[in-house]
Amino acid sequence: MMIFRKAIPRRTFLRGLGATVALPLLDSMVPAMAALRDTPANAPVRLSIVYIANGSIMEKWTPATDGPNYELTPILQPLAPFRDQMLVLSGLAHNEGRALPGENTGDHARAGATYLTGVHPRKTEGADTRAGISADQIAARELGKHTQLASMELCLDTPELLGQCEAGYTCAYMNTLCWRSPTTPMPMENRPRAVFERLYGDNDTTDPAVRRRQLQKDRSILDSVTEKASRLMDGLGPGDRAKLSEYLEAIRDVERRIQMEEEQSERELPTLIRPPGVPARFDEHAKLMYDLQVIAYQTDMTRMITFMTGREFGGRTYNEIDIPEGHHSLTHHQYKQEKIDKVIRINIYQAEHFAYFLDKLRSTPDGDGSLLDHMAILYGGSLSDGNLHWHDNLPILLLGGASGRIKGGRHIRYPQDTPTTNLLLSLLEMAQVPVDQLGDSTGRLDLLSLA
Amino acid sequence: MNKPALPASASPSFTKLRARLRVAALLFGYLVFLSAASYAQQTAATEQRAVLNRYCVTCHNEKLKTAGLMLDHLDVKDPGAAAETWEKVVKKLRASQMPPSGAPRPAESVLASLVDDLETGLDQAAATSLNPGRTILHRLNRNEYAAAVGDLLGVDPGAIDMQALLPADDAGYGFDNIGDVLTVSPLLMEGYLSAARKISRLAVGNRNAQPVSETYESPKYELQNGRMSEDLPFGSRGGTSIRHFFPLDGEYTIKIRLQRNADYYVLGLAARRQIEVRLDGARIGAFAFGGSGDEDGTFGATSFGSSEAREDADFEVRASVRAGMRALGVTFPNVTLEPEGVYLPPVTDYGYAMDYGNPDVEPALGSVTIAGPYDAKGLGETASRERIFTCRPTPSLPSFAADAERQCAARILSTLARRAYRRPVTAEDTADLMEIYTTSRSMDGNGMGAAMGGFEEGIQTGIQRILVDPEFLFRIERDPSGLPPRTAYRVNDIELASRLSFFLWSSIPDEELLTVAERGRLQDPAVLEGQVRRMLADPRSAALVENFAGQWLYLRNVKAVWPNPDVFPDFSANLRHAFQAESELFFESMLREDRSVLDLLRADYTYVNEPLARHYGIPNVYGNHFRRVPLTDENRHGLLGQGSILSVTSYATRTSPVMRGKWVLEQLMGTPPPPPPPDVPSLEEKNEENGRSLTMREQMERHRVNPACASCHKIMDPLGFALDNFDATGRWREMEGNTPIDSSGILPDGTEFHGPVELRNHLLKRPEQIVHTITEKLLTYALGRGVEYYDVPAIRKIIRDARPTDYRWSSLILGIVDSPPFRMRRTR
Repeated sequence: MMIFRKAIPRRTFLRGLGATVALPLLDSMVPAMAALRDTPANAPVRLSIVYIANGSIMEKWTPATDGPNYELTPILQPLAPFRDQMLVLSGLAHNEGRALPGENTGDHARAGATYLTGVHPRKTEGADTRAGISADQIAARELGKHTQLASMELCLDTPELLGQCEAGYTCAYMNTLCWRSPTTPMPMENRPRAVFERLYGDNDTTDPAVRRRQLQKDRSILDSVTEKASRLMDGLGPGDRAKLSEYLEAIRDVERRIQMEEEQSERELPTLIRPPGVPARFDEHAKLMYDLQVIAYQTDMTRMITFMTGREFGGRTYNEIDIPEGHHSLTHHQYKQEKIDKVIRINIYQAEHFAYFLDKLRSTPDGDGSLLDHMAILYGGSLSDGNLHWHDNLPILLLGGASGRIKGGRHIRYPQDTPTTNLLLSLLEMAQVPVDQLGDSTGRLDLLSLA
Repeated sequence: MNKPALPASASPSFTKLRARLRVAALLFGYLVFLSAASYAQQTAATEQRAVLNRYCVTCHNEKLKTAGLMLDHLDVKDPGAAAETWEKVVKKLRASQMPPSGAPRPAESVLASLVDDLETGLDQAAATSLNPGRTILHRLNRNEYAAAVGDLLGVDPGAIDMQALLPADDAGYGFDNIGDVLTVSPLLMEGYLSAARKISRLAVGNRNAQPVSETYESPKYELQNGRMSEDLPFGSRGGTSIRHFFPLDGEYTIKIRLQRNADYYVLGLAARRQIEVRLDGARIGAFAFGGSGDEDGTFGATSFGSSEAREDADFEVRASVRAGMRALGVTFPNVTLEPEGVYLPPVTDYGYAMDYGNPDVEPALGSVTIAGPYDAKGLGETASRERIFTCRPTPSLPSFAADAERQCAARILSTLARRAYRRPVTAEDTADLMEIYTTSRSMDGNGMGAAMGGFEEGIQTGIQRILVDPEFLFRIERDPSGLPPRTAYRVNDIELASRLSFFLWSSIPDEELLTVAERGRLQDPAVLEGQVRRMLADPRSAALVENFAGQWLYLRNVKAVWPNPDVFPDFSANLRHAFQAESELFFESMLREDRSVLDLLRADYTYVNEPLARHYGIPNVYGNHFRRVPLTDENRHGLLGQGSILSVTSYATRTSPVMRGKWVLEQLMGTPPPPPPPDVPSLEEKNEENGRSLTMREQMERHRVNPACASCHKIMDPLGFALDNFDATGRWREMEGNTPIDSSGILPDGTEFHGPVELRNHLLKRPEQIVHTITEKLLTYALGRGVEYYDVPAIRKIIRDARPTDYRWSSLILGIVDSPPFRMRRTR
């Protein structure tokens, strides 16, 4: 049973036909939010990372020719309307995703953990989990100075199913792409309602006075527990101290947000009906989560979102497009054309949902252009051939205008095994977060000169 | 409990000698005994080394390093010196996985003697240099947090939607209570802060609660047949029973919406029907509808009029409700005169949701919206308020009032803090809380009226503060000062109390356990055992069902089971709920009746309701409530005959012998197969042969021609095929398509079995292996960390001690509680 809760009296809520139908969140709030944007000159570059799991059928992804006049492949076809703002980047690899001697399994776990870190994760089922800090979290440190939320980490799959983690590897490597530190994974949120409440509060009232008072109380509570946690540190072992430090760091983040929220308390809160729990249909869920991202960017609640549309090793079935088999097992297709075709259909389906997101971004005014004009979006995965578990020649796209920093409309091929982390460095640079090194990077990719 | 065992082989002969001989003779005899013993040991070691050299070292040597295991230079006499390696060897040998099939194999007695010697050596070494391991500081996971909050504040779990408040936790080693894996992110911290605010408000009550509405939706694709809940009256059909929290005494409106089909037409308008609303069993409203259709009564005309059917537009009751948890029932009085449960032609979930007004379809409840409070009369006395307000500031002379109020607040908050932190409170604890109390108490209302601020808001903020305190959110254990590094020591009573309560209840210690611990009585073996037995008898031990069995047996995955309706048109969501309920009731009965853990496989009873009984072919079960039934069909005995296990190990369209075999190997035998190699080569693709379509077994046998696949599949597949008479939804079948099911299997060692009964008998031939797996999983869960090689001697002891009881649950649980890893910790 689904439970919805909302305040009465309601303001101008849009009423859908059935309550389980995804509500057109965006359309209902555009007027309320239209005045929020910075002046055109300041429109900052926002980053978005959209991940697809279990690889792709590369023959139907990679264009045959390089340069500007390439022909769109079937999987990329849904993105045709955005061709001018899209770069197809071939030849990139995650060399740290490959197995070390003795690690005969774990390609999916490593694919997930290396994607934004470029670091080979330690093989463990839990104890001494270790990957590396991820590019989005580096970006969040800088971009988060201006927004209430430094970053958001979103997904569509629940981490709760059992037997869904590769043998010998902790589920964290598959459940998230984002690592705040080499030992602290950032959990990803799949519940639309929770995302909404994190953005706009969980109050039954929108009275600013009540809200201010609540922030004041929260702040004094956090001060008090911070002091206590510091006292508790004394005499604890390093492992225990690390856990308490995580707690303290998380508190600092929340405090920073409270401060930001107080500064921005004059801002008008959106009048929206709260989204329900997780919709039963995948397409509704995916679109709702994309909607929420557009709103988050539009209201400048954050400038860094990572969205994992599927978890590595995940066995989601796509009944909406008549695919009752699990995604992961389909990718091990044994070269059966029927199975390969189904994987292609899943890949196209993913691209269609992504195109929905791009379309919303493009139709959302932002400064002197659209949101899409001021975004840099990385779309792709950390395995190419899902059957062979290849970590090179990855399916990677870069989209958006990045405020003039991306010149789209081309297919660029890089030398074999060029680290994907080089692209991540370039991505960070577009958002004016200059970093020289990330995982196995060897230097930035020069996207502009390769016209 | 706790008696150190003497080495059994040494003591009797030693006693005899001492009785008969004088000092000199004693010394002499003792020397003889010693040298004889060491000679025997020496000889045994030489023999064992020969066995190893002959059967193992061929592959596992320093040159070949097969599987990274090198046995050529290890000392068999002293297995404790390389315990980690030898435990691996023991595990493989105990499971008969080594030597591999095809390689030369010694007689079983030779292998058994080798393993026995290794185990004895390992256990002796572990006893002399004890390593109980070191659990890291634990964050409460979401389930533990929910249970703890419920126990602390008396908040009804039904009043809090914890899934909506906190994100799900990561899992490691198969469980979601692993300290290493439970991290804290800003997302979670925001969740804690907001959950603490909501829960503390709910518990204290908010006089100024503004009207809100909450809507409970019935899933569109679920049939509402029969009596839906024990809380609904007999002779009712469909609808729902909701446990709803009413925040204040006052007026509430309850609005009913009928179920629509996929095209938004109201279902079941053909005949005149009634829907009624009950609060705590008493009828507070009823509405009649339908039956206004064509003369022939085929359709309810309005149902086709428009997609905005208005039949239920006025279905609203306004009622005066007392604050607290109340049961709200909305249901249809059953109009047929047949007794509950007479078998009607099935309407499937899918057909039901798509239905266009089929006259056979009865109306259903779409949603219930509860709104209020209006005209609030006050807070009322809820269970949590009674729990929290152990004192009230008494009106007295104004000059004393402030002091009295502060004293009362301090008493309330320190009482809660003791339970929340699971230890005696200090002056500092109280001071921390009173500071928050004072700030919040004195906050002026910012023009929001005198009702803001005040004593109760101060208490509420204090509780919110407790719920984000690191000592509430984390289980912290401290090494005693002055111990050298890597010393094993007993955790103190207070820490032990929390270890116990989180193991058995997934929650904080209750008053009795905490008091016993505070008095330093918990280490007393009789007291400890008494507490464990008391806790197991307590309803809170149902946490073991949900959290331990739910994860170990994959019962938590049942909610994601969604068989393809094209293949299984009869499957329904009600059946899925029934699968879950059956296995949970079954497992709980195992614990409550303290049965042998092996009864999980061999029990001749289960729990069913009518839909499930029909699914299983069990006659004479009527109604939607669950009851225990004897199983006359031996195939259904135990877990392997239950829809839950059989469906979570199947695909949406068909069974998967591989998944079932893997589940048996991993969850019961404790020997998970390695994951498949990535690139499964193309096989000659044949779904047909000689004009006949191949069965799954035939297709898989062709798949196994590939040696890379065969080595694992020849172990997994036969186990799964033995269960193939159960289809992907657990229904018994004799045929797949036009071919009879072949449920026979041959393991690599030549063992042959046929069907579920023989599979079960095969598994039960080595009960120790199953008990070992269960103990290892239970210990992982109890400790909240992965089980390491140094824990294995403790597992063996638990099993040895439990053997005389035929491995009753209580003997395993008491054995774990008494084991070094649970009772002790190692300094860093």
